[in-house]
Amino acid sequence: MGDKRKPSNAVWILGIIFLFLIFIPPFAPRFFTYILGLIFVTSLVAMSLNLVVGFGGMFQFHHGVFYGVSAYATALVLTKTSLATWIGFMAGPIVATLTGLIIGWFCVRLTRLYFGMLQISLGSLLWAIVFRWYSFTGGDDGIHGIRMPSLLMSLNNSYYFILAIFILSLLLMYKILKSPFGNTLQAIRDNPQRCEAVGINVRRYQLLGILIATFFAGVAGVLFVILERSVFADLLFWVLSLEILIMCLLGGWFTFFGPILGTAIIISLRTFVGKYTEYWTLILGIILILVIFFLPEGVMGYVQEVLKPKMKEVKQEEKGIDASSGIGF
Amino acid sequence: MAIGWAEIFCQFLVGISRSMILFIVCAGLSFILGVLRVPNIAHGSLYMIGAFATFSISKMIGGTYGFWVALALAPLLVVVVSLIAERLLFCHLYQREHLMLILFTFSVSLILGDLVKIVWGAEYRSVSPPEILKGSISLLGASVPRYNLFLIIIGPLVGIALWLFTTRTKIGKISRAAAVDREMVGVLGINVSWVFSFAFLVGCYLAGIGGALVAPTVSITLGMDHTLIIEAFLIVIIGGLGNMWGALVGSLIFGVTHSFGVLFWPQFAIVFPYMSVVIVLLLRPRGLLKSVW
Amino acid sequence: MLRVESVFKSFDEFMAVNGANLQVEKGEIVAVIGPNGAGKTTLFNLITGLLKPDRGRIIFKEEDITPLPPYEICRKGITRSFQIVNIFPRLTVFGNVQVAVLSHQRRSSNLFRSAERIAVKETREILETVGLLDKENLVAGSLSHGDQKILEIAIALGNEPELLILDEPTAGMSPEETQKTMELIKRLAKMRELTILFCEHDMEIVFSIAQRIMVMRHGRTIIQGTPEEVRSHPEVQEAYLGEEYARG
Repeated sequence: MGDKRKPSNAVWILGIIFLFLIFIPPFAPRFFTYILGLIFVTSLVAMSLNLVVGFGGMFQFHHGVFYGVSAYATALVLTKTSLATWIGFMAGPIVATLTGLIIGWFCVRLTRLYFGMLQISLGSLLWAIVFRWYSFTGGDDGIHGIRMPSLLMSLNNSYYFILAIFILSLLLMYKILKSPFGNTLQAIRDNPQRCEAVGINVRRYQLLGILIATFFAGVAGVLFVILERSVFADLLFWVLSLEILIMCLLGGWFTFFGPILGTAIIISLRTFVGKYTEYWTLILGIILILVIFFLPEGVMGYVQEVLKPKMKEVKQEEKGIDASSGIGF
Repeated sequence: MAIGWAEIFCQFLVGISRSMILFIVCAGLSFILGVLRVPNIAHGSLYMIGAFATFSISKMIGGTYGFWVALALAPLLVVVVSLIAERLLFCHLYQREHLMLILFTFSVSLILGDLVKIVWGAEYRSVSPPEILKGSISLLGASVPRYNLFLIIIGPLVGIALWLFTTRTKIGKISRAAAVDREMVGVLGINVSWVFSFAFLVGCYLAGIGGALVAPTVSITLGMDHTLIIEAFLIVIIGGLGNMWGALVGSLIFGVTHSFGVLFWPQFAIVFPYMSVVIVLLLRPRGLLKSVW
Repeated sequence: MLRVESVFKSFDEFMAVNGANLQVEKGEIVAVIGPNGAGKTTLFNLITGLLKPDRGRIIFKEEDITPLPPYEICRKGITRSFQIVNIFPRLTVFGNVQVAVLSHQRRSSNLFRSAERIAVKETREILETVGLLDKENLVAGSLSHGDQKILEIAIALGNEPELLILDEPTAGMSPEETQKTMELIKRLAKMRELTILFCEHDMEIVFSIAQRIMVMRHGRTIIQGTPEEVRSHPEVQEAYLGEEYARG
C-alpha cells in the first residue's frame, strides 16, 4: 500500500549487496567464503525461527532440533543408502517438517512458557537419542566426510548453491509474511484471544506457522551438510537453540532482516574475536546484556526507529487532528 | 537377565542420591521462579561455580576438614557472586517478559561460564570425599558407596530447612506470599525489592550447595552447567512451577529413571529421564503438583 | 434469534452468572444493564464462547452453540467488541480490520498471494463506515483511546455478523465521542440490518437507543422488556435505577 518509492530504494541496496556477494568467492580467501556461507546457513535458521517467535509470538525454544534433525536425515541418506543425492536433500526438509508436525501438534495446546518447556523436553529427548545411538547416528562423534556430488565439491560452488537457496528461501518467507497468512500470524502474536473472536482457529494457524518455520530450518539443515560435510549431536543441543534465539534478539525481533544481522554479528564475533581471545563468549554476553538493557527491539529495530523520525512526527500530528475533529463520519 | 536384587537396590539408592543433588538445585531454581518469576538459566553456572569453588577450597585447606570447610564456604561464595549479579543486573529486569528474561539469564550464564574459564581454566578437576565418606557400606546385601548415603541424608535435611524457612520465618512467609500475590506484599508496606533480592540469594545459595555436594561425585568441568540447567528446568516444570515438593518429586523421577536406565540399557541411560519428562508433560502439561503461578 | 436459557457460571466460590435468561429477536437493539459486577461481561463471554457455562444452554438461530469454541461461534454469525481495548496493537488500522475480513472470507491460510491485494475493498468499506479510513496506515497501538474503541467495532464488523455484541462500546470516551459512537451504532443497525446486543453504563444512552432492555443483578436476570416496562418495574427502580431514572 501507499509509498512505492521506499521499497525500490531497499531493492537497490539489496541488489548491490547481492552482486557483491556473487563476486566475493574468486577474490576473497577461502576461509572468508566459508564464513559467509556459514552466515547464510545460520541466518536462514534464525529467520525461520523469527517467523514463529518474532512474527508468530510463540515460545519456540528448541528450534535447533529441526535444523539438526534435517542435517542428520540428509547425512544419513547420503552415507547409509545409495539413493540419489537429491533425495537426501529432499529428506532433510521433509523430516524436519514431520518432526515439526509432531512436536508442534503437542505444543500448540499450551501457551508461552509451558509451550516452550514442552518443546525443550521433546527436543531434548531427540537430542539424547541422537547423542547415544552410536550405531545409527554416530553418537557424540557425529558423522563426518559426507560425500557430495561433483558439482558441489568445491567450496565456491557450494557457496553459490547455498547463496541461491538462501535467497530463494528469503523471497519465499517474505512472500509468506506479506500474505494473508502472514497477517493472521502477526495478529495471533498481538492478540490470540481476539483472533479467536474473529473466527480464527488459533492453534491450527500456529501449527501451520511451525510447519513453515521447521521446513525452512530443514532447508538450512541441508545447506549445513553441504557446507560442512559433517553433522554432530550439538546441532540438537538446547544451547544452539538459545544461540539462534539470541541472534534474532540481537538483530531485531520484529524486523525481517534483523536475524541476518544478528547472525552475522555473532558469527563474526566468534570467528574474528575468537582468534585473539578464547573468552569471546564473555564479550558476547556483555554485548547481549547491553542490547537487552538499551535496545530491546534489537539493532535492526533500533535502526528502523532512527530512520523513521518523520513517520513518528506524522503520527503525532494525526493524533492531534484526531483529538480535535473527533470521529469523522 | 543377570541383574540381581542387590544390584537393583544399589542402583536405586544411587539414583535417589543423584536425585537429592538435583532436588537441592531445583528447589532453588523453583523458588526463584515462584517468587521472582525469573527463569534463571544462570542458575546452572552458579552450580558450576559452587563445584569449582569446592575444589579450590578443599585443595587449599587440605586434610580431613578440607571438604567440610569447602562445603560451608563455597555456597557462600556463590551467594556473593549472585548478590553482585542481582544488584548490578537482575534487579532492573524483574518486570520484563519471560522470553527476554531467558535470553538475559542465558547471557549472564555465558559471562559466568567464561569467568570460570578465566579463574579455573578448562581442565578437568576432581575432589575426593572426606575420609569418613570414602568406601562403601554393605546394606541388605548390596554395597552402597558411603558418599551416596550421605547425600540421601543431606537432601531431606536441606528440604526440611527450606520448608521451615518458607513456613516459619517472616521473610520466608513474605516470599511465599509474593509468589502468590505480588501486589499484596507491596500493599503491606514491605519493600518488595528487598524481599526479591533475598529470595534470589536463597535460591542461589541452594545452587551453590548443590554444586558443592556434587563435586566429589563427578569430574568438575566447563559445560557441566549446560547439562544440569536443562535437567533442572524440566524437573521444575514437571513438578509444578514454584512448588518445592514438586521439585522433589520431579528430581526423584529424573534421578531414578536415569539410574534404572544405567542398569538395564546403559547406552541409552540418558534417554530415559527425558522420556519420563515427556510422558509427564503430555499427561499433565502444567506439572504434577500445583504451580504457584 | 439468540436465546440464553438459564445459564450459570461460577469462578471458584463466586457465582458470576447465576441463572441468566435473554432473548434477542432479529433486527432488534437490545441492551443489558446492571450494576458493576452484575455479570454482564461474563454473560457476553459465555455467549461468544470465551467461557463455557456450568449449566444452561445458548441457542443461536435454533442451534445449540454452547459447546462450540469461540472461532466457530464467530463463524455462525456472532461477533463482538471488547470492553477493554482488545486490538492488534502492532498491525496497522487497515491490517486490524483485514484480519477479520480475511477470516470471514476463509482466506487467512492463503500463503502466496499478497495480502495487499486481497479483501481491500471490503476492509476499506468498513473503515469508511466507521470513519477511520484516513488513518488506515497508522499503527493501531498509536491511535487515541476513542479511535481504538471504534476500531474494536470495526474489527467486529469484518466478519459481517448477524448479531453484533458490544461490551461497553463507549467506555472511557468523552461525551462528544460517546454521542458519535451511539449514532454510529444506530446507523450500523439500519445500514447492515444488524441485530445488536450491548451493555452500557450510561442510562440515557441505553434508554435512547435500546428497543428492549435486560436487567441483571448478582448474575441473575431481573427482567427483560421494553424501556417502559423496565422503567416501571419495582425491583429495578429500587435496586438499580434509583429515583432519577424512575421518573424518566
